Amino acid sequence: MWKYIIRRLILIVPTVFLAGTLVFCMLRVLPGDIVSTLTSEGGATEESKEKLREELGLNDPMVVQYGKWLWGTVNGNLGYSHYQDRYVSQVVKDKIEATMTLAIFAMVFSLAIAFPMGIVSAVKRGSWWDQGIRIFTALSLAVPSFWLGILLIIFASKVFNWSKPVVYTSFFSDPGSNMAQLFLPILATGITSAAILSRLVRSMMLEVLREDYVRTARAKGLREFLVIMRHTIRNASIPVLTMAGYHFGAILSGVVVIENVFSIPGLGQQILVSIFARDYDMVVGIVVVMTVILAAWILVIDLLYSVVDPRIRYS
Amino acid sequence: MSQASIGVASGARDPGFGQATKTFLVRFWRRYPSASVAAVVLIIVVLATIFANVISPFEPNKAYGVRLGGLLEPGKNFGIHLLGTDTLGRDLFTRVLVGGRVSLLIGLIAPTVGITIGALAGITGAYFGGLTDLIIQRITDTLMAIPSLVMAMAITISLGFTLPVVILAIAVGIAPYASRLLRSHALVLRSMQYIEASRAIGATNKRIILRHLVPNSWAPWIVMLAVNIGNAIVIEASLSYLGIGIAPPTSSWGNLLIRAASYFTDNPHLVYAPGLMITIVVLCSNIFGDALRDMLDPRLRGAD
Repeated sequence: MWKYIIRRLILIVPTVFLAGTLVFCMLRVLPGDIVSTLTSEGGATEESKEKLREELGLNDPMVVQYGKWLWGTVNGNLGYSHYQDRYVSQVVKDKIEATMTLAIFAMVFSLAIAFPMGIVSAVKRGSWWDQGIRIFTALSLAVPSFWLGILLIIFASKVFNWSKPVVYTSFFSDPGSNMAQLFLPILATGITSAAILSRLVRSMMLEVLREDYVRTARAKGLREFLVIMRHTIRNASIPVLTMAGYHFGAILSGVVVIENVFSIPGLGQQILVSIFARDYDMVVGIVVVMTVILAAWILVIDLLYSVVDPRIRYS
Repeated sequence: MSQASIGVASGARDPGFGQATKTFLVRFWRRYPSASVAAVVLIIVVLATIFANVISPFEPNKAYGVRLGGLLEPGKNFGIHLLGTDTLGRDLFTRVLVGGRVSLLIGLIAPTVGITIGALAGITGAYFGGLTDLIIQRITDTLMAIPSLVMAMAITISLGFTLPVVILAIAVGIAPYASRLLRSHALVLRSMQYIEASRAIGATNKRIILRHLVPNSWAPWIVMLAVNIGNAIVIEASLSYLGIGIAPPTSSWGNLLIRAASYFTDNPHLVYAPGLMITIVVLCSNIFGDALRDMLDPRLRGAD
């Protein structure tokens, strides 16, 4: 088990390395640099700009810049944001909580409604319930999450006189008001995933319900409720979990947009600001962090398999 | 006699081709009524965006005086602004129609490009195996490890906010999934007898890949395309909404919403139409895509 975890952790390294390198190279193609952002208020002469570039190492050949970045990242130093005048890792540490809270709760939310919807839809196949749920999932798949977010804001402000909170409250200091702030964003982010996952739950359930052991369970007189709970759901949930693992990437993409719609101070809002400011280190740093989060999440999901299905052993 | 019958089969007087199409359409309609409706809606939307300047008396980029006019606002000099006007007094209805051109174009081209690149990579990897396959798979994994929107952001920001760049940015996000699917498909094809036969008569690798493997992978290719059209439209809209997609004044359904965003609590009418259009198009293309998948992939028949 531990061997397996360690091997998987080692496999994450090349992926993160390649992803970081890719984005690093891409951003170096950009015209303009951090100096033009820093001096955009005017007053700086070409000479002083040039001096600043020299100081920040922007005139070094790309290979040297890349080497510096790689060495720093390997040592856990993601670089320095000249735009914010802080270390990238510090900024990430401040902002990661909002992003992770939003992403994890969106995932939990989507699983929490995907399972009941998918199960009901499969068990009552062809009924009005099934039709209703299928229409709901088809619609949820089609609505762009940021537009849904805007609609929710309009709706909440008209009906409940709600407005976007100005200050973000951490989940750990005050879970109640944190959830009150994040409720709508979670809804907007999670609904697409809920639809995708619930379709998968439905088709997996339909497949498992055809299995011999389900017929056996029914034949021996087990109540239908227990047949579903004990024999069907567990066996249907492995592919759903796999999907939930890979789907976290889509949730992270959704979070980037939703944070900007709801003005939540997370990595998604930060990456957009940094991209416009040409703050390379920050952007690459956030990409690296997100890649690590995604890989770690997939690993956690893979480990959950053995909880759902005790036959699965890791070696 | 035989000459005559061939003549009839392909002849101009015979309804052959037209009849076949008709039968196919009728069968499709009977079997997939909702997908047929979806296809009709899509055709109407496409035609409406193409003929926007015939349908609407207004021009998309011209200000008409009335600012932030609501639904059915009468025009200052002529006509009625069906969906109202935006902050600069431009007619929203016309802008939504014209914006559809960019969104639909991207929805069609970006997945085509992405799936084709991904498919070629996946099929090549599957055919050669070994190191080539390993390298291609590593690249695929890396691309899948970065959230696709973040990847797209990095691409548009470094190469510019133009149509080809946005198409590339979205295609890069779709390609790895196509590569995986088509690779597994090609792995099955590779061991088929006709591949072995063509290798036996001395066909080159290039010929086998391009003349046998690629043409035989059309079914998953087209299914992936149908499923990803909606996806691409949504990604384009998200990018444009964030201000890193197609740059104004060219309008797309996404960037109509950037400007709307700062006014939306007071003027919600700016928000409804573009988002609703995205929803309708994505919904219809998904329904149509599902029917197509059902039709072309017998293994999945009845699963959904």
